[in-house]
Amino acid sequence: MSILNVAKGMGVTLSHLFKKPVTVQYPEEKAQIQARFRGRHHLLRHPDTGLEKCIGCSLCAAACPAYAIYVEAAENDPDDPTSAGERYASIYEINMLRCIFCGFCEEACPTGAVVLGHEFELADFRYDHFVYGKEDMLVGVKGSKWQRREAERKGGEVELGFQAGPRPELEGVDY
Amino acid sequence: MKIKVNEVELDVTPGTSVIDAVFAAGHDVPYFCSQEYMSPIGACRMCLAKIGAPRKDRATNDWILDEETGEPKIFWFPNPMATCTTQVMEGMVVDTISKDVKKAQNAMVEFTLVNHPLDCPTCDKGGACELQDRAYEYGSGESRFVFDKRHQEKHHALSELITLDRERCIHCKRCVRYFEEVPGDEVLDFIERGGHTYIGTLEDGLPSPFTGNITDICPVGALLDTTSRFRGRNWEYHHTDTTSLDDPSGAALRIDTRTGRIERIKAGLNDDVNKTWIDDGTRFGHEYADAEDRITRPMVRRDGTLVETTWADAAREIAERIAGMDGTRIGIALRGDATLEEGVAAKALADHLGSGRLDTAPRPAASVLPDGAAATLRDVATSDALFVVGDPTEEAGIVDLRIKDALKGVEPAPLFPHGPAIADLRLKERMPRKREILTICAPYRTDLMKHAGQAHVPPATSMVDLLHALAERASATVDGGTPSGAWDDALGMTAAEADALITRMRSSTRGVMIWSAFVSNDPRADEAARTFAKSVGAKTLILGPMANTAGLERISVLPSHDRYDYASMFTPETKALFLASLDPAVDPKVADRLRELDLLVVHAAFPTATSALADVVLPAVTGYEKDGTTLNVEGRLLPVRAAPVEAGTATDFTGVVKQLGEAFGTRLEGRSVKSARRVLRKLLDVDAAELPTTGQPLPPVRGKASGARAVREYARATGDALIVPSMVRVEHLDRNPHLRAERGDAALRAHPATLHAHGLTSGDVVTLPIGGIPRQLRVTASEGVPEGLWLAPTLPEQPVGLYDANLAAMVRERSATAEVA
Ligand code: SF4
Ligand code: SF4
Ligand code: SF4
Ligand code: FES
Repeated sequence: MSILNVAKGMGVTLSHLFKKPVTVQYPEEKAQIQARFRGRHHLLRHPDTGLEKCIGCSLCAAACPAYAIYVEAAENDPDDPTSAGERYASIYEINMLRCIFCGFCEEACPTGAVVLGHEFELADFRYDHFVYGKEDMLVGVKGSKWQRREAERKGGEVELGFQAGPRPELEGVDY
Repeated sequence: MKIKVNEVELDVTPGTSVIDAVFAAGHDVPYFCSQEYMSPIGACRMCLAKIGAPRKDRATNDWILDEETGEPKIFWFPNPMATCTTQVMEGMVVDTISKDVKKAQNAMVEFTLVNHPLDCPTCDKGGACELQDRAYEYGSGESRFVFDKRHQEKHHALSELITLDRERCIHCKRCVRYFEEVPGDEVLDFIERGGHTYIGTLEDGLPSPFTGNITDICPVGALLDTTSRFRGRNWEYHHTDTTSLDDPSGAALRIDTRTGRIERIKAGLNDDVNKTWIDDGTRFGHEYADAEDRITRPMVRRDGTLVETTWADAAREIAERIAGMDGTRIGIALRGDATLEEGVAAKALADHLGSGRLDTAPRPAASVLPDGAAATLRDVATSDALFVVGDPTEEAGIVDLRIKDALKGVEPAPLFPHGPAIADLRLKERMPRKREILTICAPYRTDLMKHAGQAHVPPATSMVDLLHALAERASATVDGGTPSGAWDDALGMTAAEADALITRMRSSTRGVMIWSAFVSNDPRADEAARTFAKSVGAKTLILGPMANTAGLERISVLPSHDRYDYASMFTPETKALFLASLDPAVDPKVADRLRELDLLVVHAAFPTATSALADVVLPAVTGYEKDGTTLNVEGRLLPVRAAPVEAGTATDFTGVVKQLGEAFGTRLEGRSVKSARRVLRKLLDVDAAELPTTGQPLPPVRGKASGARAVREYARATGDALIVPSMVRVEHLDRNPHLRAERGDAALRAHPATLHAHGLTSGDVVTLPIGGIPRQLRVTASEGVPEGLWLAPTLPEQPVGLYDANLAAMVRERSATAEVA
């Protein structure tokens, strides 16, 4: 190894010393998330009717390699339907501790109801806090369970620690 | 005869359908409309294959030879043929894999899907659907359809139990044929034609006791079980292959459970027993197992109230309270659908306590075991002379269906390596039925009578005389003698009719006589029935009141003396009682007696009138959650397997004996299913753990059956209320909402004239004390009931038979007219 090679290597290090740092001062500063990042799931609604897209078919649960999803279905009340069609998910749960954020559920879903969004701040204290139900994932719900608890405690809005570009699949989700 | 399927040469029996030959050769053709046990009709055209055969020269009667090879020349049919309706021919060649065939199959899948809604994600059949599978295997994988599909009703309730999706129907006609061919109740048909064809009923609903089977055989998701509607997807269910403990037929079941709940029951396949059919009571009567009020933990009475506790504590309490008690004053009673293992456990407990007061209930006065070997269900299905005393439809639905098989007169086909014949060409739509081979006697008009050549409805009080007279006549004529005629008045039919019956039974080679509780309840009637069967040379099939009554009798779960039987447990002689799944306190007099006991232990799955009086309540499992063995009506040992149902710490009776043994400081035989099976091996010489799902016949006992009670003072049964068998278990009706909605409340049936005489109308709800038990029943007019007689369905605590109805004490709870208003 010649001196020259060492100098070259040190040169790289030296040049980086003068570049703008890439470190983000998270959480003081918001992280910029790429559009294709896969985070916490959203359950979407049909934008025109407001009905849930999920029909409780359990195909996401079947596709999930981590057995993270549990679905129970029920029949829609024809006068006051929850989803379009005959069937809706009466229970829809994802265990975020099991989930590996592979996106298979999104791929399996025949109605585009479950889509992986950008939220990643899911840390929490108790096991059951990681089981997300419909009320935690339906479009319009912002933040993780802990973030929402915090916001309620403080009486403010949920503060997300990131910003993200638009993604067409995330119809109606607003960060 | 020799045929060739693709490159496989095989030998098949003449008459075989090509589709079965193809499967026997290890090849595969897709099919929708054919179904094992039903006529092949060639409706779906899915089973197409290219078929060719050599031809003979008319002039010389020699095979026409291929000039090039010198072999017989194969003449191909111009078009692909439906293999299900084509019979094999000598030298036939079948091609199921060439390009032409694939193209035809592919086109058929496409055609079948033309109007199919493709809503698999919301369809309860999805994942276990024949159309889905075939479309995947044989379809082209993409759609060329851009136009609108046919729209029809998506969830039409054919009945409270069955939902029809008319868009999904592919018009295979399985369901329509099923009703005509299997139960013989034509209640469903095609309406309209062409692309507009749909399935419908004439009147509302499906008036047949065997409707649920169409949900199993529908190849698509058009006919679905309403009790499991949207409860889970097929791949999420845990399947348990077991045997029904609902009635003594021993039908094979598949229990589908999810997250600790029974979501649905489907029929299992047992070619010898139920084929692939089960009755509606068995299929839809499971919801009670998941009822909210299940007892899940032991309870002990402290300061007058039952408080939850542990098993060990409950067992200790029992042990302390019976310590030093005279064993003969302790009684143990099991319900007749307990498994053999539970029977062994109960016997071990009785032995340990030194009690001979051990019994099963309900148990008729006469033995339910035949002398010698019982007729098998296959014997019934192939019989050429049947004599039925009773109502098999309600007592053991499968027996009803096997009787109807016999009327078709088609011997069951031998099994292929791939199972029952897919297309048995001897079966036809609307086959003529040999009604003349079936004679039925019952004290009211039964459902099966409409299929019988001769039906007799003698007065309920004189069933015994009728049998006696028949037996007399049959014995007198054994050697060509002449009957005395002394009993002729009691025949309930003309002497000529009786003689015709006797001659028919005697001259047949496969005569079978079937009887049930109406006979077994009276030792004299039972004796007469046995004499009759013997003197006409008929095999016998005795329907016990409960699933395993015969089995428990076989292993002698019986009192040591007649005076220690179940009834004796409610006399002041007893001080302590163990009651498993029985509810005798529905009788207020018995309830008073139970209050005086020193110790009442109730093993029950639900709170009952009896558990409310108990000192200790132990949680029990239902018949779906047990491991064990049962003996069906034909003497076949069948495995009962536990489905994973959430029921806390509930156990079967072996679990009770285990805990009690520990409290007594000893290890009782039958403390677990495994230990009980060791005892069974000694008793019956079979390894119950190794039984196949289809069971195994148990060699009959030699000599007289043991369960018969000695006839000391014989009293002829009298009364104006007849308790009749019921396919729908009345004691579970409240917890079976779907079944109840379809089949209605427990009915008090009477002739319209009788109702009129008592100022009642159909639909009134009354409480009527029958034999001391106040029964809440819905009044129903029925022409089939003899005038002056009241019919009510049985309870385990109120076995089939005659009772006194206390009409003076009848209370009208609700009147039909008030309800309308
Ligand atoms: S992202 Fe993957 S692991 Fe997570 S729930 Fe969906 S399928 Fe399961
Ligand atoms: S999210 Fe999609 S795949 Fe999952 S149950 Fe709902 S509709 Fe089916
Ligand atoms: S409802 Fe089912 S079984 Fe009946 S014809 Fe249609 S597809 Fe066949
Ligand atoms: S035509 Fe339907 S199976 Fe042959």
